[in-house]
Parts: sequence; structure tokens; C-alpha cells
Amino acid sequence: MVTDASGRLARGPALLMIMAAALAVSLVSVTSGAYPLSTGDILGVLVGSLEDEVATMVLMDVRLPRLVLGFLVGAVLAVSGALLQGLFRNPLADPGLIGVSAGASLAAIAVIVLGGTWLGGWVDLAGAWALPIAAFIGGSGTVFLAWRIARRAGQTSVATLLLAGIAINAIAGAGTGLLTFYSSDEELRSLTFWTMGSLGHAAWDDVAMAAPWLLLALCAAPFLARPLDAFLLGEQVVGHLGYNTDWTKRAAILIAGLGVGAAVAVSGLIGFVGLVVPHLVRHTLGAGHRVVIPASALAGGTLLVGADCLARVVVAPAELPIGLMMALIGGPFFLLLLMRTRVV
Amino acid sequence: MRLMAVAAHWAACVSFAALTLAASTAHAGEPEARSEPRIVSADGSLTETVYALGAEDALVGVDTTSNYPKAVNELPKVGYLRALPFEGVLALKPDVLLTTDEAEPAKTLERLAKAGVEVVQLPVARSPADTLARIREVGRVVGKEARAKAMAASIQKRVAAVETAQSGTPARVLFLMAAGDHGVMIAGQGTAGQALLESVGARNAMADVRGYKPANREALLASQPDAIVVVESRPGQFRIDQWPQLAALDAWKQGRHYVGDSMLLLGFGPRLPQAMEAVANLLTEVEQVASNGH
Repeated sequence: MVTDASGRLARGPALLMIMAAALAVSLVSVTSGAYPLSTGDILGVLVGSLEDEVATMVLMDVRLPRLVLGFLVGAVLAVSGALLQGLFRNPLADPGLIGVSAGASLAAIAVIVLGGTWLGGWVDLAGAWALPIAAFIGGSGTVFLAWRIARRAGQTSVATLLLAGIAINAIAGAGTGLLTFYSSDEELRSLTFWTMGSLGHAAWDDVAMAAPWLLLALCAAPFLARPLDAFLLGEQVVGHLGYNTDWTKRAAILIAGLGVGAAVAVSGLIGFVGLVVPHLVRHTLGAGHRVVIPASALAGGTLLVGADCLARVVVAPAELPIGLMMALIGGPFFLLLLMRTRVV
Repeated sequence: MRLMAVAAHWAACVSFAALTLAASTAHAGEPEARSEPRIVSADGSLTETVYALGAEDALVGVDTTSNYPKAVNELPKVGYLRALPFEGVLALKPDVLLTTDEAEPAKTLERLAKAGVEVVQLPVARSPADTLARIREVGRVVGKEARAKAMAASIQKRVAAVETAQSGTPARVLFLMAAGDHGVMIAGQGTAGQALLESVGARNAMADVRGYKPANREALLASQPDAIVVVESRPGQFRIDQWPQLAALDAWKQGRHYVGDSMLLLGFGPRLPQAMEAVANLLTEVEQVASNGH
């Protein structure tokens, strides 16, 4: 094992520290909320000695699914960010860049605005799942489209993918704008809240719906660590080192597309995690993807759960949208990081 | 090192899967007995009705659309009625959540009902008849049936007075909503604004518009309404000096305009007669102009 010469934290202890933070924030998440539940109540519910239906419901059906979903969503967003930043060799890449957010938004607003008209059949068919499923298909479908455009003669051009992503973002944005224009006041408010993200309505069925995709993305991502490390040295090097270049690109896009698509479907748009977390991890632990990917997963989950704790406490009994909270915390933090880096 | 990192990663995945399983098999306990009725009202117009019926002591929380009367701002606010937080509402330990069909998300309402909160969703009022029905319904919920009946009767009388005063060809009224600090939206078909105009027998000068749409300055000039109604969500929000096209209209120049509070004019609550009278007064002026002119 090569030691890091640049004075970065040793990786083992750092990973343990992030895990400890994840555990701590999970405890805070379970114990904090608008509804008063003491530690005794919580233990009582968990052990089964407290026969309070409402307390049980708050803990088991509200806070726990929220914690699980928050952690998974945060982890997937951060890991997808790490994969895409590695793939594009650009620290500014995030899942939004290849059209996930724009595609999911377009699908979501289509369901919200057109649900009463020609999309009515779909809404009747899918019920409460009409929006999440549409957002998932919209988000992942857009990524797939960008990838198909960037693919020529069996090779995926990363530069074309980036440009296709930008163009598709613009087109989807125009579609969203058009539907916004035709939306009623109420539909507009629903959409606004959706685009600010929320974990507040998470239930176990949301978790069940999204978890397979999210877990798949999380478990598959570490296998891309070595080829992505090779990507840092340039696209030709990947082949020279014995990895399949195109397979790596495809896998990274697929993982990010499906994972973020599922995340957006259940939690709305949550920005910043995918961009900021991989940065933080690289800053403290170095740029090797074998560490960046798992550490991003842990740190992303921790950060999102932490932000969610704040979101539900600061304006209680109301709740702030989590996307808003994320930008509020992530923005200044990121700036601080930038300023410190420049001094060094 | 690589192994450790991957192992940590997998451990996190697996432990969450396990936690999911553990929690989904948890059991529910016994419900709790309650004494006094506690109400969370998530709709501005319903909150206003509760106050008008003198049942405000039962209120333990309201939503962000509730801002009349002023005293309501001292109550805890649970957020916006289309994004109601489960825990936030439940934390106020209400017996009843009084709201409209507009309340969302459906899942939160279901869960609140499961947690023992009586969720009362009343239809959105868009006519005087709806308003009366809704007042009686709120009266039943807060246990003030007699008072609600009396209030409904007096409102009905005032509404009928406005309705019988209507005569001749319906006036064309431009209905605008001040949005933000600079924009103005036109109220078209399917809006509460149009419903208010219909209730006093007026026609919408912008009948082709659906919902609320950003105002086009030229279209405002071209509309040539007989009267103008502007709603704003706080006093002074609408500034006529920013809208020379409106000020240039005959209706504005000759004073046939009314700028009022959005909750008053669009709420279809207990102040509906006041709203209808305000618009009806404009129509009377329109008729006078018409009879003078011919």
C-alpha cells in the first residue's frame, strides 16, 4: 500500500470516521422531528414495550423510511457524481450534465399538467406512482438518448456526450417551460415543490420501489474504480492497461442514469450532492476511485440525511424542501473549500 | 486497502437492506384517548370561516395560505397545503385536519387518518352556493351548527341582494392578479376570479385565457373592459404607475376599478358578500355610464 505523500488523511481511519459520522447522523435523524418522541419512547417502540400506535407510526413508518431513503439517495447521487466526474475527467460534471434532472423534470411536469388530459389514462393506470415512474423513465431515458447520440461506430465519444447532454438539457428545459406556461396556478406550485426535492413523504413503498435500482447502482459502482483511475491518465491509457474503454463508459452512464433516475423519482430534484461530495472526498482522501467511490457513497448519504434533519427541524412544524437545504449548506461549504485551496 | 473500501461499501448497502426488513415487520400499538377537539386548518378560506364562527380556540395550527384575520399568524404554521408534512401536522396532536380537495400529498393524508386524525376534505368553493354549503360543513366540524346556519342565512340574503340588482347586458370586466413585484397575471377560465365575476353576473373581458396567464401589455390595451378588478396578496403590491397601458384604459381613467386583497376576493369564504358587493358597485357605475352615453 502506497502512502500518500501530499499529507492527506490516511484512508482507513478516514473511512472509519465517515462511517462513524453516518451512524451519528442516522441516530440524530431517528430522534429528531416535529413530533415529540423521547429516546425512551424510541427504545420502547423498538423493543416493543411501548404500546403507542402513533409513536410507532412516526418512528417506523415515517422516520425510518426517511432515513433509509435519504441515505440511499444521497449515496447514489454522490457516487454518480464521482463516476461522471471520473468519466468526463472534469470536476464540474454532475448527474444533471447528462440530462437526468432535465428529463425527469419534463416527465414530472407532464404528469402534473397533462394528468387531467391525454395523459389521464396513464395517471389512472399508475395511480400515485404515475409521477415517480414517469420521472424515472424520463431521467434514465434522457441519459440513454444522450449516450445513443454520442455513440458512433461502436465508440462513445465523451465530448459528444457532454454536448448532447447540454442540447438535451436545453430541449427538455424548453418543454418544461412550455408546460409551465400552460399549467394552472396549483399545478405550478406542485411542480415548484417537486423541483426543490423532499424526503418528507418517503414511505416504505417508496423505499421498496427505488431501493433495487439504488442498491444496484451502489453495488456496481466500485467495479468501475480501476478503469476510471485509468481514465484519469487519458482515454488511450485505459485500453493499454487492459480495460475495455467503451464498456467502462457504458457502465458508468448506465449506473448514473438508472441510479439518479430512481433517486429523482422518489425524492424530486436534489442538487449539489453529486457535485460537492466527490470533491470533498478527493480533497481529503485523494483522487483514487477505489476510495472515492465508497467514501462518496458514505459521505453523500451522511450529508443528505444531515441536511434532512435540519430541513425538518428549522421551521417545524413545517418543513423546508431538502434541495433548498442542500444548496444552503453545500454552497457556502464549497466556496470555503475553494478559497482554502487557493491559499494552499 | 481496496478490499476494505469495497467491504465498507457493501456493508453499508447490506445493513440498510437489513434495516428496511427489520422496520417493515414492526407492530402497531393501541390508540390514545383524547378529550378536547383540536383542529389544524389547512386552507386560508376555511381558517377564516373557523374564526368567523368564533371557534378559533379550537385551532392549534394552520397552513401558509391562512393569513386572515391577523391573529392567525400567531398560530404554528404547518407549511403549504399542497405539501403538508406528516410529522409536522401530527406534532400538533390534532383531532381534525380541516382542509380542501386541493390538499396534498394524498399519502400524507392517508397516514394522518391512520394515525387517528379525522381528515375532513371539503370541495373547493367556486360559487355562493358552495360558500354556504362550506360554512355549514365547517360549523358541523367545529360544533357550531346553529351559528353557521345563521351566518349562512345572512350571507345568502346579501348575495341575493347583489344578484337581484343585476340587469341589462353583462359588463365585461378585466380581472388581474398581481404576481411578485412586477408581473400581473390575467385571470381566465377556471379561476376563482372568473367565478367571482360570474357570481355578480359579469363577463370576463379575457374569456379566451385559461387559468392565470402572464399579462400581455398590448392585449390589456386591446381588451377595452368596462371595469377592472385587481387582486393583490399584500396591500400596495400592485403599482399602477408600472402599468401605463392599464392606466390608459377608459375603465381605469374613469375610476371603474377596484384593487383588493386576494383572500377577500378569491377565497369564497365568509367575506364573499363583501367581495361581490365591491365588484357589483363597479358594475353599477358601468351601467350609469352606459345610460348617460345613449
